[in-house]
Amino acid sequence: MAPSISFDQITKRYRIGQWLPSLRDALSSNQHKTAENFHLAVNNVSFALEPGEALGVIGPNGAGKTTILKLLSGVTHPTSGSIKINGRFSALIELGAGFHPDLSGRENIFLNGTILGMQKAEITRRFDQIVDFAGIGQFLDTPVKRYSSGMYARLGFSIAAHVDPDVLLVDEVLAVGDYAFQQKCYAHMDLLRRQGTALIFVSHNMEAVRRVCSRGLVMYRGNNIFQGSAAEAVICYSDAVREAARQIKSTTPSEGGLADRVMTFDAEIERVSLLNEDGMPISAVHSGDKVLVAVDVHFRTAVAHPIFSFTIRTVDGRIVYDTTSQWRAEQTPCFKAGERCRLEYTLALPLLEGEFELGVDVAADGFTHYYDRLERALSFWVQAGAGAQGLIDLRARMAIKPLEAVPEPRGLIPA
Amino acid sequence: MTSQASFLSHRPLLYAWIVRTIRARYKQSILGGLWAVVQPTVTTLIFSLVFTYFVPIDTGGIPYVIFSYVAMAPWTFFTSALMDMVESLVINMNLVSKIYFPREILPIAALLARLLDFGIAIILLIALFLYFQIAIDIRMLLFLPAVLATQIALTLGLGFIGAALNVFYRDVKHVITLVIQLWLYASPIIYPVSSVPEWLRPYYFVNPMAGILESYRDILLRQQPPGSYLFISIGIAALLLVVGYGFFKRVEFQFADVV
Repeated sequence: MAPSISFDQITKRYRIGQWLPSLRDALSSNQHKTAENFHLAVNNVSFALEPGEALGVIGPNGAGKTTILKLLSGVTHPTSGSIKINGRFSALIELGAGFHPDLSGRENIFLNGTILGMQKAEITRRFDQIVDFAGIGQFLDTPVKRYSSGMYARLGFSIAAHVDPDVLLVDEVLAVGDYAFQQKCYAHMDLLRRQGTALIFVSHNMEAVRRVCSRGLVMYRGNNIFQGSAAEAVICYSDAVREAARQIKSTTPSEGGLADRVMTFDAEIERVSLLNEDGMPISAVHSGDKVLVAVDVHFRTAVAHPIFSFTIRTVDGRIVYDTTSQWRAEQTPCFKAGERCRLEYTLALPLLEGEFELGVDVAADGFTHYYDRLERALSFWVQAGAGAQGLIDLRARMAIKPLEAVPEPRGLIPA
Repeated sequence: MTSQASFLSHRPLLYAWIVRTIRARYKQSILGGLWAVVQPTVTTLIFSLVFTYFVPIDTGGIPYVIFSYVAMAPWTFFTSALMDMVESLVINMNLVSKIYFPREILPIAALLARLLDFGIAIILLIALFLYFQIAIDIRMLLFLPAVLATQIALTLGLGFIGAALNVFYRDVKHVITLVIQLWLYASPIIYPVSSVPEWLRPYYFVNPMAGILESYRDILLRQQPPGSYLFISIGIAALLLVVGYGFFKRVEFQFADVV
């Protein structure tokens, strides 16, 4: 079967600086060849997506994610390379793109559906499903300008998702919906995938990427720096951001930009270690062993009441355990500039056999931003007996007795 | 990717966009569609006062109100459609930069949505004809579609160019507003062609709107077929339509990159 999307050696250059093209340039069909100030928004990126696959595209702002979406949707053309899309294409790039604020939900469903390429009869047929899914029933005849941003988002998603697309693009749009709706959207995307829709998902929400996607592609400054499983991609992205933030921080200490938005490095995680009860570093444990997770943090500036978190995940990104000092309602102290501290977690690991990863972060009070964050600080192997499978060893005991020996009541009788 | 679809394959979207434009225009408005006639009517009334009582103009015995309104109604259609077309891409930039569809749908829908206003203006025109009991030669009405088609072709041609250029240079909108103001006086709307100086006549009909508007008067007020100046207008309109559409499709793929 032909791939749903083939994105072959795509490069997209934008001219920067003097943005007004002269009339002659605008008219010439071949792209401007003079080597002026060009910005390589996407630099020789290739990928292919089979029906039913979901690719998460991640990367910091300005990495080229949006340009990839624009290229896929045909809104802009590549400078070089070729893009092929097989089948019907739907995009949820901007919530309710084309919604008119003065028109009612009903009118906008028809309008937006048409923009996305649906026939009127098709929209009529799926109308109730769209309304149901968006949960806007009673506001159907209200102008959408009176909708909450959540309702707006829900309606936008609902229409795009009911186009029955062969290829669906979803941009960073679900962030506005509430938790329940997001879960509904993820479930719906799973459904579409099972029906053979190829999905491209762009998000800053790493948990969402892991939840929705099987594959991941990491963009950084126009380059595709990683392609592989979604879980690996998330870690690669996290490391890249940390590295970039650290470089910016060390060269230009007071400037804003990427560093201040993602990580400020006012506190830096210098070392994370997994130790056994004797204080020796280990990389494999027996199920149920007591271990010590030690995190060494260096405070570069004075930091008040930081939030410490640590997370244990499976290698495919499922969270096994996640805890923060905030959730635990633990007030952390104020740290002075230059101070170093060691944070210790003692815990047992009643996990089943497999590889696990440990992530650590230090965030500002109120979770406004991270000081430092290591998505995968280290990984370790858990050895367990072959008696059970799954994540957690619940230590089930088994016993077999003659029924007469069991006292009444004997418990529920299965229906 | 390289083949660019045309609006013909996206007719449902064109219709939907026309409906959206019309509905949105008159939502939350008390007069609604009546606004379509308020503007030409008020202008016509003012000119009627001035040119009937202050500076009388020889209209060949036709009441000035109807004399000027016959030209003012199509002129208003022309200018409002042109302005809407010119702005159609820029005001929908969020859509243009996110979703692909043949871009000409936006300017074409802008024009066709103004057709409704023109229809309302024509109803008022018919009322004026009945009130002033002006006779009409039914056979001459057969020329009307040709004149209207010429006008629409001219508007489309100019509108395509204006809309595309306005994406790159926002000055275009202001330039066109200015040009329209001057153009009003260069066209036979508030005065008859007979008051144009003799030496200027040969050049006067280079203005394609002059031939179009004068044709409306020929057909409706003078019960005669349009003069040969209509052919000049047809030629210019056809040329502009072809050039304008060609230009538009040529630069279409750059719209999303400029924003």
